[in-house]
Amino acid sequence: MMRTALVLALSAAALWPQGEVHANEQARPEQVQSDISTREISIQSNFTGIEIVLFGSIDFSRGPSPDEGPYDVIMVIRGPNQPVVVRRKERAAGLWVNGASKTFPSVPGFYAVLASRPFRAVASEDSLKALGIGFANLDLGNSEQGEPADDGFRANLIRLREDHWLFQESDDAVSFIGRSLFRGSVDLPVNVPIGRYTTQVYLFRDGKLLSQNQSSLQVHKVGFERVVYLLALRHPFIYGLLAVLMAVIAGFAAWAVFRKE
Amino acid sequence: MLQVYLPVAEISVNLLVMLGLGAAVGFLSGMFGVGGGFLLTPLLMFSGIPPAIAVATGANQIVASSVSGALVQWRRGNIDLRMGFVLIVGGVAGALAGVLLVRVLTKLGQADLFISLVYVTFLGIIGSLMLAESIRAIRRARAGKPASPRKPGQHNWIHGLPLKMRFPRSRLYISAIPPLVIGAIVGLLSSVLGVGGGFIVVPAMIYLLRMPTNVVIGTSLFQVIFVTAVVTLLYATMNHTLDVVLAFILVVGGVIGGQFGANAGRRLKGEQLRLLLAVMVLAVATRLLFDLILSPTDLYSLAPEMVGL
Repeated sequence: MMRTALVLALSAAALWPQGEVHANEQARPEQVQSDISTREISIQSNFTGIEIVLFGSIDFSRGPSPDEGPYDVIMVIRGPNQPVVVRRKERAAGLWVNGASKTFPSVPGFYAVLASRPFRAVASEDSLKALGIGFANLDLGNSEQGEPADDGFRANLIRLREDHWLFQESDDAVSFIGRSLFRGSVDLPVNVPIGRYTTQVYLFRDGKLLSQNQSSLQVHKVGFERVVYLLALRHPFIYGLLAVLMAVIAGFAAWAVFRKE
Repeated sequence: MLQVYLPVAEISVNLLVMLGLGAAVGFLSGMFGVGGGFLLTPLLMFSGIPPAIAVATGANQIVASSVSGALVQWRRGNIDLRMGFVLIVGGVAGALAGVLLVRVLTKLGQADLFISLVYVTFLGIIGSLMLAESIRAIRRARAGKPASPRKPGQHNWIHGLPLKMRFPRSRLYISAIPPLVIGAIVGLLSSVLGVGGGFIVVPAMIYLLRMPTNVVIGTSLFQVIFVTAVVTLLYATMNHTLDVVLAFILVVGGVIGGQFGANAGRRLKGEQLRLLLAVMVLAVATRLLFDLILSPTDLYSLAPEMVGL
């Protein structure tokens, strides 16, 4: 909470010069600036998810007040892309087994859309599609040819990701604080993939895209978790040996402590 | 409360639940004198750990419990090292085959099904046999008849095979082929199921190899250490599904539970213990079978795409 407050105060300070250029305001087009509360997210043993705040401001805002602002803001947060296999269970010989499957080559590990009001009302379907905003317009990579036509695999992939909070669409998650300042918050769940995340902030007025701004953040493991993870990934043999050694020592210790003379 | 992030599994688990699980299985294994892997791995799967992680991590946990068990037997001189090494040679080959098999099946999306089916089959057979045997033993005890002694020194077809080896500790002169084959089967099961395999190797040593009963447990524990160590290493290097943080939590829980279990086991009679164990084994098998038969809550599942073999 304190960090958020500090960040907002800083952003507000950055807006000061606007009063001085008031005369030029009518002439210059609006520009959106944005940043993220946390540029680095560290996963440690007590990690259970984290809330990040995206904030930004509109330079040369023409809004008379926060309530009457003519602007709409949409934020899109994307995690690193991964190939994902979607499998469907089918009944075979009385058992439920994985049957048909479909591979999507590049599925964002995390994807969230935050908007200042229902985002489908902000812009036309075509412009949302062009920008890849919303689950329906998400590009999951060209699926290979010869596979069965999309029969629920895409929809179920999105549903399962939504169930795990890895895909989020939230209207009214961005709020204005003043004429030109806005903020939106999103929860990253415990199972977020590590890697580089990008955040896109789009500024709309009357369905027209005025300006956009991009930032990025890094999710990584730190400390003991990082050591274990990197060891397991890059030196798996040493990792395995250490795991066996841990078990052997524990076995010896248990025997030594509890043995009956 | 007390959530712990597992760095390789990339999920967060409750520390107390996992410690409790390790302790409960340790308690049962101490009470029944079994490895407990066949209970631990399914219980991990029931509590939401992905099967591949449960199997690899279960194997790692068994290394610890079999080391302390084998040390006790070692002090009593109850290990046939020579027989153990022959079993281990077969076991390593079987483990390698098993890990490769799981890897191929994971790629095809059938690993979970295969693991469940093998569990249902083996737990079903072993549980039913144990149940029948323990009920017979309890009836006999009630009727006041002594347990029927087995006749030693009988020969079977196994004794006619070539490649004969001397096993002085077991007072046997038999072909190395049966222990190699038994070792390979146990290694395969150990890697696919994340178990030690004592429930296969102990009866095989008694009934097929006709080893003296006093060296059977020690030799079994001795070979289990090495086979599960190899399984742990193979999963770590080939499938990247070993989570050492989870393994450590389970080991700690298991050590504590095991001590209480051993004390509790002394208060029950052998056949009562076997009856209880049989009921539990059958319960786990039934639950796994129901999961395969009942309509799943979700027909769809996601998995990262695996590249390479």
